[in-house]
Amino acid sequence: MQGWASCATAAVGFVVCLVAWQRGGGTVSLPWVPSLDLRLSFAFDGLAALYSLLATGVGVLVFAYGTRYLRQHLVEDDRPLAERRRFWPWMALFAAAMVGLATATDLVLVFVFFDLTAVCSYFLIGFDRERRAARTAALTALLVTIVPAVALLAGAVLLYSTYGTFSIPELVATVEPGTTTTVAGLLIAVAALAKSAQVPLHFWLPRAMEAPTPVSAYLHSAAMVAAGVLVLGRVHPLLARSEVVLTVLLVVGLTSVAVGGVLALGRDELKQVLAYSTISQYGYVVTLYGMVGAAAAGAAAFYVVVHAVAKSALFLSAGAVTTATGEDRLSRLGGLGRRMPVLAAATGVAAATLAALPLTGGFFSDELFFAAAKEHGPVLTVASVLAAALTFAYIGRYWIRLFLGPLATAPAALSPVLLVPVVVLALVAVAAGVVPSPITTLAEGAGAVSHAAPVTLSPAYHLDLRATNVMALAAWALGGLLLAAAGLRDRASRLVATAGDRLGPRRAYTASVIGLRRVSERLHDWETRDLRSSIAAVLVPAGALAAAAFAATPVARAFTVGPIAGADWLVLPLLVLVGVATLVAARTRERLGIVLALAAVGFGLAAVYALRAAPDVALVAVLVETMLTLVFLAALGRLPGTEPRREHGRRRGQRWRDPLIATVSGLGAFVVIWGYLSEPREAPSVAAEQIRLAPAAHGQDVVTVIVADFRGLDTLGEITVLLIAAIGVATLLGRGRLW
Amino acid sequence: MTGPDAPPGPTVIVRVVARLLLAPSVVVAVALIVKGYTAVGDGFAAGMVVGLAVALNAVALGARRAEAALPVLRHAPYAAVGGALLALASGFFPVALGEPVFSHRPGPDEKVVSVGKAELMTAVSFDVGIFLLVVGVVTVLVHQLAEPDQEPQA
Repeated sequence: MQGWASCATAAVGFVVCLVAWQRGGGTVSLPWVPSLDLRLSFAFDGLAALYSLLATGVGVLVFAYGTRYLRQHLVEDDRPLAERRRFWPWMALFAAAMVGLATATDLVLVFVFFDLTAVCSYFLIGFDRERRAARTAALTALLVTIVPAVALLAGAVLLYSTYGTFSIPELVATVEPGTTTTVAGLLIAVAALAKSAQVPLHFWLPRAMEAPTPVSAYLHSAAMVAAGVLVLGRVHPLLARSEVVLTVLLVVGLTSVAVGGVLALGRDELKQVLAYSTISQYGYVVTLYGMVGAAAAGAAAFYVVVHAVAKSALFLSAGAVTTATGEDRLSRLGGLGRRMPVLAAATGVAAATLAALPLTGGFFSDELFFAAAKEHGPVLTVASVLAAALTFAYIGRYWIRLFLGPLATAPAALSPVLLVPVVVLALVAVAAGVVPSPITTLAEGAGAVSHAAPVTLSPAYHLDLRATNVMALAAWALGGLLLAAAGLRDRASRLVATAGDRLGPRRAYTASVIGLRRVSERLHDWETRDLRSSIAAVLVPAGALAAAAFAATPVARAFTVGPIAGADWLVLPLLVLVGVATLVAARTRERLGIVLALAAVGFGLAAVYALRAAPDVALVAVLVETMLTLVFLAALGRLPGTEPRREHGRRRGQRWRDPLIATVSGLGAFVVIWGYLSEPREAPSVAAEQIRLAPAAHGQDVVTVIVADFRGLDTLGEITVLLIAAIGVATLLGRGRLW
Repeated sequence: MTGPDAPPGPTVIVRVVARLLLAPSVVVAVALIVKGYTAVGDGFAAGMVVGLAVALNAVALGARRAEAALPVLRHAPYAAVGGALLALASGFFPVALGEPVFSHRPGPDEKVVSVGKAELMTAVSFDVGIFLLVVGVVTVLVHQLAEPDQEPQA
């Protein structure tokens, strides 16, 4: 029920987006945090239209598929169907976050939606939470995408500090090339590349295959991974002002194409092949963003659409195969084509789309890719042909191993709900290959945003030997060779996989997570080892920080000794008494002595307050001190013996530890107070105002008037805390009964 | 306080003093509240004074016996919650009249009716709320924390 509701919501969203796109979009901008110049700015432009149509359109099909898939998944695992409640809300939020991200035109807003998709993906990838692999995969995905996302925020703040706005259109209009732009561009690019699973931050994506299939399909095609390239497309006019950023995009994109493609060639698990394929395919898009120009910007948008359609179809088909056969490895599957002809044909169309065969949208996306690469010199031309050949080979291997050859595992009958979405997506892919104009229009709009200038695309079939056709033929030929040379291909792929496991970034990630946890545990153990450590953990940083603050801000006459007059002659002996009592408390061995000495310290200070014209503080200090002493005495009555036990086995260095800690923190506090008293400010204006107004509020005691009137709301909050504390104690000790 | 050889429990002096202190402490608390708005002291201090007396009784007699001797302590939870509600009402009633919270009545330029030193105004009732809450919470805490070992010397 929830599934179909999500599906219907996505369908409504799709229609709304479609209408908005046809109407030409529009912008909304509401104040959000005016003091920080933050606005809720949304624009439904070409880029927003493309990605929101993808998120909602693919969402409809994936959600429909998911209604059936999830039920079966839960039944197979003997889990209650009620667990669907942990699935569909996140799925729906995922779609909403993607639409929000697509339409947001404020960098901070982009950041918020960017992280929202990561949070959704965390709960969805970890949906099978009783499996350890799913939990670690979810955590990896969250960390690898959210930590770099902070770089996006840093880049946004950097731009704000220079240009005074978070609004992307305004930044596009004002930003000049320079170091700031380069650094900010790199920071934003890092966040986007991690999200799009580009080398070297790609390793979270194959692990995320632990998610249920609808999640994988959605995550890979229209959400999450697409969010990275969406941000690249959104801020591309800024990135294009720095050669460095563009070069980084090119290098990272091509490396990802190669690494993802080679690894996909050798994988055995269905979803792993597709995961590495996604890394490779988004490498294409990143490469296109690395090339500047109208052709590249339009081609990138076109590529995203076609890939989303094909990849979601492939994932849904993989899930259907696994559901029908119970197997998820190519080595145990084969020959399914005769038993499942419709699925084989639909999957074939999706595979052909990735392989860029004619009559599919893939042909045009590669045509545009080749055309853009050709403009950027021979290196990119060759690289693009090799990339396409790699794609042809791995997706060809995938389809052939799955559907041709002898039957390995007999499939059970397949529910039409699992089949229809794959067929629909395949039909869309074919339609794009026959009538590309809707996607072309969509991509031109999106490209115009990324390029900050109008973009024209004209994908079409040409029956001649123009460069793009020759490049496509070369790619197919090379890919076919690679497909035929199975031994060489597998060995190369295994070699790369082993090298990646040995030296790859995943190892560094694991090591850093384990290292951080170890440091944290060490610190925690040290801090909570005994009471002294806990106190030292507070006092030492406080003292050191205060001292550092004073050292950093030298003020003339900061530390002076004032005159002694009047009541000071009474204060001085009191302070001496406090000092002596403190020493006694530190030296004495008997518990009762310590308590009484501490009480003397407290009462002495209360007397000082009284003499310094703060009778209210003195009154409360006396009362609190009395209560504390009483509590101490009550507690002491229940302790065995009269002296604390000597601590055994203290190491030699520790003898000096406590005095050292005491000295550091004490000096810190002393310096702060001395510095403050040397230069007593005028009473701050708020206090003066309150003193002046107290009689008007019918009170002579300013403190009481402040507590009960001027700052009454604060007081109310504080006494509420008291009541809550009492309820907490009652819950812990009295099973929730106050009496 | 109690050595290994001494009999368990506080001395008779402590017990007697605890008993005797109760009435004066309540008087002091009332005085603190009554003159609170014009002189030193407020609801919190008054609540602490009574709370101290209750705590001293619990230490001297044991919590259960102190509660048996002063049955009125049973109502501590009501005092705590009632105090909170009174304070809440005193602070928020202006909202119903369309004014900001803590717009006390009588207002700045209006005349205040005084009974002796006590002014009759909502700021003072807010203070009384604080007093009730502090007394109630301290008594509840004493009751709860004394629970684990029931009357060691009973």
